[in-house]
Amino acid sequence: MDSKRRKLLHAIGGTGVVAAASPYLSFPAFAQNTPLRIGIIAPKAGIAGTIGECGLRGTQYAVAEMNAAGGIAGRKIELIVEEETNPKDSIERLRKLVLQDKVDCVQGIVSSGVSLAMGAVAEEMKALLVFWDGTTQDGVKETLPNKRYVFCSTDNECEAVMASLLVVKHWKGKFKRVAGINPDYSYGRNNFAAFQALMKKFGVEHEIVAEQWPKVGTTDLTSHVAALKAAKPDLVFSSLLFADLPIFMRTSHGAGLMDGGTKFAFPGAGFQHTALKKPFTPEGMILGHNTLYFDHPNASPMQKKFVKEYEDKYKDYPNWEADRAYFAMAVYKAGVEAAYKAKNAWPGKEDIINAMEGVKVMSLGGPGEMRKDHIAEQTFYQGLSTHKNRYDFPTLGNIDTMYSTQLQKPAGMDFWEWIKTANIKL
Amino acid sequence: MTAFFDILLGGVFHAAVLFLVAAGLQLVFGVQKIVNLACGSFYALGAYFGITSVNWAVSAGVPPSLFLLVLLASGLLLGLIGPAIELLLRTVYDRDEAFQLLLTFALVLMFQDVLRYFWGATPQTLGNYAMEYGKLSVGDLQVPTYNILVILASILIAFGIGAFLQRTRYGRILRATAENREMSQALGVNVRWMYTTVFTLGTVLGTVGGAMVVPTAAASLDMPVELVVEAFAVVVIGGLGSMRGALIGALIVGLMRAAAISWWAEIEMLAIYLVVIAVLIVRPAGIFGKPIE
Repeated sequence: MDSKRRKLLHAIGGTGVVAAASPYLSFPAFAQNTPLRIGIIAPKAGIAGTIGECGLRGTQYAVAEMNAAGGIAGRKIELIVEEETNPKDSIERLRKLVLQDKVDCVQGIVSSGVSLAMGAVAEEMKALLVFWDGTTQDGVKETLPNKRYVFCSTDNECEAVMASLLVVKHWKGKFKRVAGINPDYSYGRNNFAAFQALMKKFGVEHEIVAEQWPKVGTTDLTSHVAALKAAKPDLVFSSLLFADLPIFMRTSHGAGLMDGGTKFAFPGAGFQHTALKKPFTPEGMILGHNTLYFDHPNASPMQKKFVKEYEDKYKDYPNWEADRAYFAMAVYKAGVEAAYKAKNAWPGKEDIINAMEGVKVMSLGGPGEMRKDHIAEQTFYQGLSTHKNRYDFPTLGNIDTMYSTQLQKPAGMDFWEWIKTANIKL
Repeated sequence: MTAFFDILLGGVFHAAVLFLVAAGLQLVFGVQKIVNLACGSFYALGAYFGITSVNWAVSAGVPPSLFLLVLLASGLLLGLIGPAIELLLRTVYDRDEAFQLLLTFALVLMFQDVLRYFWGATPQTLGNYAMEYGKLSVGDLQVPTYNILVILASILIAFGIGAFLQRTRYGRILRATAENREMSQALGVNVRWMYTTVFTLGTVLGTVGGAMVVPTAAASLDMPVELVVEAFAVVVIGGLGSMRGALIGALIVGLMRAAAISWWAEIEMLAIYLVVIAVLIVRPAGIFGKPIE
């Protein structure tokens, strides 16, 4: 090992990636000469633009780190980035990446509306595809139970399940009148239905007094808040997670919905954490940060290093999409290197897929794994909001951590049946 | 009763926002006979530029309580892009409506990239400035004072435009030009200059509207298209080219939406478009529109 490489490894030493890569730092010259081409499809504009941007930064960070440590099984990584828009156009970009750019793997996708359609196409094309935040679920029903080439993120309902469990843990017996304001598509509908199912499971006596379903992208929520206020709820459950969430907070604060001890649970608040300013986001709300809580005091050195670099570079704090993107890259890397080790030669696509099944990795937010049925398991963070921090937005005062095996249905099981029968711990 | 006034004020506030966008659309169509799809883009530009202006002004030492003046000034200043855009539109004045729609839609897409280039894909907000002037409270009813200011500003703008068009000499010439462009031109009216003025005024309505509303909302790349869809419902109900129509149409849409959200949230959009369909059947030109010959 030359002194330059030793210095580099010393500088970034201690990270899980380097530890994972160290057995492979010496590879045959032929492999090292041609870079691995990885296609990324992520939103750059619209309501998910900011999320896609954060995910892309997570990918770029992972690639820079991996390339500095020798790449994947000795081959440097080269990214080709395409934009995620509607399902039809995004699928065309998948075809372009696979057929024209001849990428080795495609990663990305934030919208389940896109991933649901793209999953089947990728299977047909036999294209290795790892979703950041997409599923192949129609609602909560798995449409590709026997996926071969597609690897999905954790189920969308994980955060709603966790927020519901925290509602039971912190507030059981302290509320009766419940109002919901959730985005008007399957994510919002399923989340609110999951919340109600869990209240029933844990014997929480409650009454739904208002349901609001603003369409995604609504920028005037005055009438929605007026309707919620008229229902006089004790608890508001909301899966809003795009730019409409800070607007909802501000409008609710202005209209007095937050007065009088009303409780709030926001499973997807982490996407907007820096926009939820303290003056209109009180303490004591349940906020979900999904698989990356940037300010975790007990975060791994790997996460702390990433958050620090992210803050220095972008003057911002990352949300969970950065972790999802990092996780996707880490799973692929682990799969390739495991397959390479087993074969002692560059592995084929089928070898890599076999190795990715069941692989365990350390992601930015914590440990995770890819199940045999190609659904991810990851670590989730939620808690009660506090203003006691150095930021102008709330963070988590007490942090609950749950692994997704407690939050999502096992392979092949119906989601609603799982909620009824699972031994879910509070 | 509190709930009723909460819902009513929510509807009127949304109507005020819609009016600001629809008014620009109506003014430009009324005189220039161009359906300007880009009016939503001016609104979005005003919102983004307003955020930047307020942040810059406050960091330069302007007291936060003066943010409303900064927003108004930024909206007026940004309206200066109107003449440049109007110059571009001159190429399609005498062409088929399809060309006009295509060009103004192209402007929507181009402005979206301009917004993305300067402000990025992340939706922008103005923190908690909307609460800078506090709340008005009557019993359980609480309304941010700023929302009331937006409603009052819309009413003032509506009456201001009405007075300008009805009671000033320039307004009368404008209406005459809208009625018969060739005759006005023959009588010595500088129609080209008039079009520039009208288009700039329409642009200013959009940019000032966007700037004024952004403290209560967020500036995002989607807002031009989102708002134009509702603004067109306003125009169809009120009548294309009519300022009174814009005002009444905005009120109908705003109140229908608020009522639907409160009592039957699922039919929020359906309720608005049921009114649109009813108007198209009963009075195809809209409530205040002139029948199309």
